[in-house]
Amino acid sequence: MGVAEAERPQAARRVRTDWTPYLLVLPTLVFLGVFFVYPMVQAIWLAVTDPQTGGLTLAHFQRMSADLYFRPAIRYTILITAIAVPIQVALGLAIALLVNTRFPGHSHFLYLCAVPLGISDLAAGLIWLSIFTERGYLNAFLQAVGLVAQPITFLTFERPEWLLGAVILTEVWRATAIVMIILLAGLQLIPKDYVETASVFGANRWQTLRHVLLPLLRPSLQTALIIRTILAFQVFATVVTLAGRQTPVLAGEAYFWYSLYRSPNVASAYAALILLLSGSIVWIYLRVLRQRETEVAPT
Amino acid sequence: MQHLRIAATVLICMLAVGVPAGLSAPAQEMVFTSNQLTPVEEQEWARSTLLAGFTRESGVAVRFVTEAEGPYVDRLLAETRAGRGTIDVTGTLHGIFPVFVANTAIRDMTEVQKTLDGRRDRTFYKDLMAVSKIEGIQAFVPWMQATYLIAARREAMQYFPRDRNPMRMTYEDLFQWADNIKQATGQRRLGFPAGPGGLYGRFLHGYIYPSYTGSQVKAFKSPEAVEMWRYLRRLWGVTHSSSFLYAFMHEPLLLGEVWVAWDHTARLIPALRQRPGDFVVLPSPAGPKGRSFLSVAVGLSIPRTAPNPELGVRLIEYLTRPATQVATLQGVAFFPVSPEAAREVPSGGLKVVADGVSAQAGAPDARTALLPVGLGARTGEFVPLYVDTFRLIAIEGRNIEDTLAAQARKIEELYRATNAVCPPPDPAIRPCKPD
Repeated sequence: MGVAEAERPQAARRVRTDWTPYLLVLPTLVFLGVFFVYPMVQAIWLAVTDPQTGGLTLAHFQRMSADLYFRPAIRYTILITAIAVPIQVALGLAIALLVNTRFPGHSHFLYLCAVPLGISDLAAGLIWLSIFTERGYLNAFLQAVGLVAQPITFLTFERPEWLLGAVILTEVWRATAIVMIILLAGLQLIPKDYVETASVFGANRWQTLRHVLLPLLRPSLQTALIIRTILAFQVFATVVTLAGRQTPVLAGEAYFWYSLYRSPNVASAYAALILLLSGSIVWIYLRVLRQRETEVAPT
Repeated sequence: MQHLRIAATVLICMLAVGVPAGLSAPAQEMVFTSNQLTPVEEQEWARSTLLAGFTRESGVAVRFVTEAEGPYVDRLLAETRAGRGTIDVTGTLHGIFPVFVANTAIRDMTEVQKTLDGRRDRTFYKDLMAVSKIEGIQAFVPWMQATYLIAARREAMQYFPRDRNPMRMTYEDLFQWADNIKQATGQRRLGFPAGPGGLYGRFLHGYIYPSYTGSQVKAFKSPEAVEMWRYLRRLWGVTHSSSFLYAFMHEPLLLGEVWVAWDHTARLIPALRQRPGDFVVLPSPAGPKGRSFLSVAVGLSIPRTAPNPELGVRLIEYLTRPATQVATLQGVAFFPVSPEAAREVPSGGLKVVADGVSAQAGAPDARTALLPVGLGARTGEFVPLYVDTFRLIAIEGRNIEDTLAAQARKIEELYRATNAVCPPPDPAIRPCKPD
């Protein structure tokens, strides 16, 4: 009895204080619920129901997979992701490591590298379009220095690989900054002691990077990879601007089925497919990059 | 005390901002939605010039909401389903009205039309009045119309085939022209708006198909159609290879990337406005079965759930006034729907286009095609069927006969499912079916 009575005030206090975190995340939960979970459930529902009868159907998925653009869209989405994301991560890591050396002028360099963060994907597409079109800056430059006599048509349906290259270049330019910022924040969380200890033990720069920094950076790398991959599966505006529908992508097809063909159901089927792909890839990342329990996380 | 002071400051600020706004704002506000006038410059013009004029004379503010076809249609249908609306007037292509009629989303405009006719200051072209009648009601009051033409830089005219008349151009002339330019300059300077936001699909179903086959749907896989696709393959070979990116042809025309372009009048006019002396406007070409062109009618209607239908009638009266129609032509290059307005002669670049329009409509071999109607919720699938066929045949180089047979099955399924009638110049057969 005495023990139970002694515990009661403690328990009551715990109940009172336990609500605070929930209250704090409540606005976020409501926001996510209303603007993400609800539309997501609705989209999945649209993808599997017949608009006339309201019954369950796979017809929309069949129409999607029978479409002319379906296979190229999957191929190009995966291709763009598989090429652009590793380049973004490698470049982002390189810039983050460079900035972290705090060389003179590093803060200006950081701001310069972060500029594309403030530019929307459509604007980024338009910027590179004005560079690559026949009357664009690149041709003007090549002609001015006398490298070509006639302007070259870079964005041509006859060269799908050039279109893909232009899209990947734009994506790398646009989205490396976010990777760099995440990794830089991660690097700055790593206490200097680790690097100093490594140098005491005679590790050179490469060994320090490979065996000390990269393992400690794993949570940041995981975040950057997940964010970039999910966004790469949704790539749309830059592709449509630079390559039209010659380089179809999944998010673009979802848009065309909704706005051009006026079929929200097939558009939702595409959205569900993107969700499935993003979900699977996040699951794979979380498994592959899982923090082993024996490893030390940076504090 | 400090709280009180803050509250007082906030209150004063609100009054300072709110009272003058309240005094200057018109007493009433209405909502006008459209999927036309979507480019930013056109929206700006509609708000600051067109609708500001209405607000000045009526004291009613107009909130103009213009967006892409998908969300535009969904917004009105959602209001219909909810049984409660905010939209007072809506203006769109005549091809979209069957969707609204099928969902009883709009009112019968017969009474509004009678009121307008009673004013005796305007009449409407008969062919436009005819297309405004859908399933037994008048679905809309004609508002403005447009068509598609060819615009060319003057310097390109020297390559036009000798002894041929550009105002009587045939599709073969167009090919020769682009080929001559290619031979002389080494560049492909013919352009089509075949990009994601472009209207190339209209060229396929409303222009070249009827010009070669006399039909949009019935002769889809006929021997004439096969001939036409062979021609299109050749034409694509002398067409600028960035055409798959173009949405508005005035941009590549002004840049000089393209010298000869086919597009919607509203999408050519910015080039003609900037440099009226540098461009000529020519009718769309003629094929073996005549010079087919699309007449694009845009109409106004009042939703069934409109909260202020009487204001809607006033806005429709204002927008269809001959003076407003002329202002609309000058502002956004949509052509009048009343002969009273058309008599006013436009100047500069508009004059150039108006000449092109009349040369096209007045040609002895002219043949009007209309946008397909009656496909209901599946209206959006019609044009992509033609564009996909183009992609398969001209870009991917697939076998013409096989591709046409496969695509014709899809068209047949679309028409069978919707039990829709063939669009002119095809005979009015229901359901329409490729032979």
